[in-house]
Amino acid sequence: MSAIQELIKEIKSLKPVPAVVSQLIEIVDTQGASMKDIAGVIKYDPVVTANLLKTCNSAYFGLKNPAESVEDAVSMLGVDQVVELVLLKSANGLMGKENIGYGIREDAMWKYAVSSAMIAKQIAARLEIGNRNTIFTAALLKDIGKTVLDRFIADRFDRINFLVQNHNLSFREAEKKVIGVDHAELGGMIAKMWKFSPRMVKIIRHHHLNDETMKKDREVLTVYLADCICMMMGFAVGADGLAYRFHRHAAQELGLTADDISDMIAEFTFQMEEVENLLKMV
Amino acid sequence: MRRIVGVADMQVSNDPGEVLVTYSLGSCIGIVIYDETARAGGILHYMLPDSSMDRGKAAEKPYMFADTGIPRLFKHSYQLGARKNRIRVYVAGGAEILDQEGFFNIGKRNYMALKKIFFKNNVLIDSENVGGNVNRTVRLEIGTGDIHVKTSGSKEVRI
Repeated sequence: MSAIQELIKEIKSLKPVPAVVSQLIEIVDTQGASMKDIAGVIKYDPVVTANLLKTCNSAYFGLKNPAESVEDAVSMLGVDQVVELVLLKSANGLMGKENIGYGIREDAMWKYAVSSAMIAKQIAARLEIGNRNTIFTAALLKDIGKTVLDRFIADRFDRINFLVQNHNLSFREAEKKVIGVDHAELGGMIAKMWKFSPRMVKIIRHHHLNDETMKKDREVLTVYLADCICMMMGFAVGADGLAYRFHRHAAQELGLTADDISDMIAEFTFQMEEVENLLKMV
Repeated sequence: MRRIVGVADMQVSNDPGEVLVTYSLGSCIGIVIYDETARAGGILHYMLPDSSMDRGKAAEKPYMFADTGIPRLFKHSYQLGARKNRIRVYVAGGAEILDQEGFFNIGKRNYMALKKIFFKNNVLIDSENVGGNVNRTVRLEIGTGDIHVKTSGSKEVRI
């Protein structure tokens, strides 16, 4: 069996994100859904509902009366918070895994996924870019391909690293050369298999901005830049280091200066406590 | 005992049983200083070169910036008995993403900020491991002054 065939087999055995997640993002981002619509989608998934209520009633929120239904949760916490909780909870099992090949511990991996999603959301809000829940979720799940590719990386790390060190390839380019597929491509395949929206598949697939045709796509650029900021801040930078390409046009296209990026780094440092709390809660 | 120096954080110690460690520096810089005679030292983990961009944030988190963090690292170590003429200085971090040149290169700007401050204050760097596309973790054993650095994709080495 070739590496690609093995990978496809492995992708098929992944436990997918609940279908309710895609529906939820779709109605929130494209139809400006009401509280009732949101509750209507969530409540038909018993596992997601149970998780939401459990989190909602945790000490973190300090609700006076416990939420007993999805409707209660939405009216007590608001649409944005509920959607975020459902997204985080659904991604936790997938992204909170140790990546041995990439040399990232499970807690670091999850913290990085959440940080990246928060920074992407911050950029989208700053630049008034729509589809924020799609952007948030894509940033959260963009490295899902690493989870599957990890074992293959572990076996071939020396060859990949040699290409990075001596042939000026990025880690992603070296993955592609040695294995035949890279983690972004693989992530796109997984997203497609799970029937995510074409927009989400596109962002995950192109989050390293290796395709010229994506140069002006503001949603892809937002998630890309959030990833760069995380790398600079040293979040979950594993054995692959910072060996990915920086495309300065991404920031320029979004109208962001180097000072704006410094400003976002400073801003996020203050939000890190919030991330820690979110991590504990979910 | 292990004490973690977080992001935008600084810790000093003269407890011989203590080990200070800072993880995952990325483009941030870790400065380690140590006085062998006083057996005291510390680590600063800063993220950005210059506090003039936001004085308010610098007042709240001075260890976020080179210019507000570095003087405090030295002052706090002096309070534990360290002396400037005996202090050894080690610098790590300041990595960059591939092709990250010019003004967007925060790693390099972080390093330049430190060089400028050290030059003005007559501080020499004894050893350094900076730049490149790698991630670094640094630890300082207070009892011995041993410094170890772990670079992504390689084993930990003693400086």
